[in-house]
Amino acid sequence: MNEIEIVAAFITALNAAEIPHMIVGSLSSNAYGIERSTKDADFVVQLGSIPLRKLLEYLPPGFHIEPQIGFETITSSTRYRVRYQPLAFLIELFEVNDEPYDATRFQRRIATTYGGQKSFLPRPEDVVVTKLRWSRGGKSRAKDVDDVRNVLAVQGDALDLTYIRHWCDQHGTRELFEQLWTERVRLPETEPPV
Amino acid sequence: MEPSQQLIDDIYREKVQRARGTPIPEKLLAGPRLFAYACEAMRAGIRAQHPAASAELVEQILRQRLESAQRREDSTDE
Repeated sequence: MNEIEIVAAFITALNAAEIPHMIVGSLSSNAYGIERSTKDADFVVQLGSIPLRKLLEYLPPGFHIEPQIGFETITSSTRYRVRYQPLAFLIELFEVNDEPYDATRFQRRIATTYGGQKSFLPRPEDVVVTKLRWSRGGKSRAKDVDDVRNVLAVQGDALDLTYIRHWCDQHGTRELFEQLWTERVRLPETEPPV
Repeated sequence: MEPSQQLIDDIYREKVQRARGTPIPEKLLAGPRLFAYACEAMRAGIRAQHPAASAELVEQILRQRLESAQRREDSTDE
């Protein structure tokens, strides 16, 4: 099983266990920006009353859930890690919470496919807002800002700037957004990919 | 010879154009695919450093290096 098949198998299991989800992190910025390598796949999930271990019933041998539960420091979401042992590829799950932005982002998710499996993505505006939020809150990784820069260049004027500005104001990232928006590479507008 | 800023900008613009023309389901597969390529390059480096290493040991060293990178990344989350 290669890295693409690992992610596809995981999405198949999420669907079989009827766990609402969306692909986030660098896979989502790849979808709307410029592709880069990623050593993990991140998902937001809505577990509700479904125990996470139920996923194991639908996953092929080799997957295991790490017993240690973590927390995403910006939104205080609960974080679980799933590994496919033969390879070093990591899957991270963040439980959606009732924080206003987190809930809004999840409600706005849109359908897509991954390796033929039905899945969901945040909207491109939410990739921008979330990555900017992470870049501010201690997880100050240059690659998050680069991801935003790439999404702004690729999506261009198709983005809902009013929505982005509203949430950036809430998160204290408006100044950084305006700087990146002003500096973005501008090309003749073409329809962004679907 | 260092590439000129003009060349760097032109390459970036090409990447943006290509990204605009690529369907999302295809772009979603790129991250794990590029990671697999990166792992292959790392395996080659490990084999060059440890010519006598078995395939199993190469995988073990690769996992150690990736886990070390993950720990460094986790430490910036705090």
